[in-house]
Amino acid sequence: MKLDIQGHSGCDIAIVHEDSDLFIHKSTHDPGYVSRLVNQAKKQIAASRIEYQNIRVPKIFEVEQSDTDATIKMEYIYSRNFIEHFEQAGFEQIKYLIGAIKYFIDLEINNSSMQTVPSRILTDKMADVARKVSHNDHLNHDEEAMELVKRSSEVMDGVGDMVMPVGMCHGDLTFSNILFNGNNYYLIDFLDSFIESPLLDIVKIRQDTAYLWSTLMYNKPFDKVRLSIISEKIDTAIDEYFTGKYQWYRDYYMPLQLMNFLRILQYAHDDKVIAYLKRVISSQLATLGNPKTA
Amino acid sequence: MMTLIVPIAANNDDYAHKLPQPFRLDDEGMMYCVRAITGLPLDQMDNIYFVVLRDHDERFMLNEQLMMQFRRHHLTNAHVTILDEPTGSQAETVARAIELNGITGMVFIKDADCYFTADEILPQNGVAIYALENLPIVDPQHKSYVAVDDMFYVTNIIEKRVVSRFFSAGGYCFEDAAEFCRYYERLKEYSPLYLSHIIYSMLLDKKIFRPIEIDDYQDWSVTNVKY
Repeated sequence: MKLDIQGHSGCDIAIVHEDSDLFIHKSTHDPGYVSRLVNQAKKQIAASRIEYQNIRVPKIFEVEQSDTDATIKMEYIYSRNFIEHFEQAGFEQIKYLIGAIKYFIDLEINNSSMQTVPSRILTDKMADVARKVSHNDHLNHDEEAMELVKRSSEVMDGVGDMVMPVGMCHGDLTFSNILFNGNNYYLIDFLDSFIESPLLDIVKIRQDTAYLWSTLMYNKPFDKVRLSIISEKIDTAIDEYFTGKYQWYRDYYMPLQLMNFLRILQYAHDDKVIAYLKRVISSQLATLGNPKTA
Repeated sequence: MMTLIVPIAANNDDYAHKLPQPFRLDDEGMMYCVRAITGLPLDQMDNIYFVVLRDHDERFMLNEQLMMQFRRHHLTNAHVTILDEPTGSQAETVARAIELNGITGMVFIKDADCYFTADEILPQNGVAIYALENLPIVDPQHKSYVAVDDMFYVTNIIEKRVVSRFFSAGGYCFEDAAEFCRYYERLKEYSPLYLSHIIYSMLLDKKIFRPIEIDDYQDWSVTNVKY
């Protein structure tokens, strides 16, 4: 089966018929990815035990693991990807989605506790990004990219300890990891996050609503204007909602969104993606330098 | 009462040497763009503006020709608005016409490449719709489609995707010209920008649109350019 949305994990995805049922087999043959895939499965199993409004998590039936391989067998969901969904969604379906996202993240917040995240978590991660960028042959001769990393390091040095909810998050809550089935939204591809905070899920969803990241990986023609209008609507609703409710969101969303894009940049090798990332990071640094425009 | 705007200010390579299709005459000697409005309840219109390009006007004497058409068909409240430069979208043409003529209140926008009849235009946001099954031959690619709920409220409008048995028939009503311009200003950087995008953006902001039921639909479009 040809998938319209291409991911970056490198896992093999197969749709398997067993009797009259369909299942997804997601597997890796990369020994370095085995534990990561197994952890994803554990996170997804835990999430599937919780009841959410409109949000569903596909059931995982089996996890097979060896030193070199891992395969997870999960429920197949009849669904559309986000672009197909948005192309046909009436205004009320967009309203439902906004409500579901707010509800899901509020539930994560309620299942987390306020904790102090030491400043070194961010500065260590920034040092790691700087190291990886300097070893990325597509970036290490790019003066603009190196300058952006340098300026970003200065920003991260100034953030300090962060007090925020920690305990529950999807870890990669982009639109490409949501399957759309009517007004039910199935979350897939859970990931460990460097801070297990609901704020990181807001960062990831706004990676798409504010910056249209997942559209970069969509190969078919689509109505870009309509998608931009919808994304802006969702983004404004999410931003206004959490800005109005939480000081930690107001304080740390922007530096963590900057870190999010730096972590994508460190592995980037496609010219189009690198140009996009430099544009986004540059605009974020401008915003952080002038917070009133955030 | 309301203002009727007929935007015909797009440029097209075909028009370098040819008279744009909406300015051609039908068998009765009526310009198609004038014919396009004759099925509307014109007694509801305070003013009617045909918005054309200066380049087209200079090459084809459109102002004089349209004035003759207005006299012949007793359109005493019809005017020609001439834009110096081509616009990037139908929405821009309308916004420019609103600005240049100081139009306020309700506006009805009518495509110049089609005809329909409507008994009454209610004072509310609306989209003229027509059912696909009423057409003997359909070219679904060049239409936008309008979804309505059971109570006849518009819930969706989209270009070139068949989400409904109703397509947009080329008539759009906005109850406030200033509000239309606000949405245009918000979206004007997007391209290609269609009126359906403006309407969808308004729907997302909980603006209410009702379908306008029409009859006798005729599609004269020979290109997919909106004027």
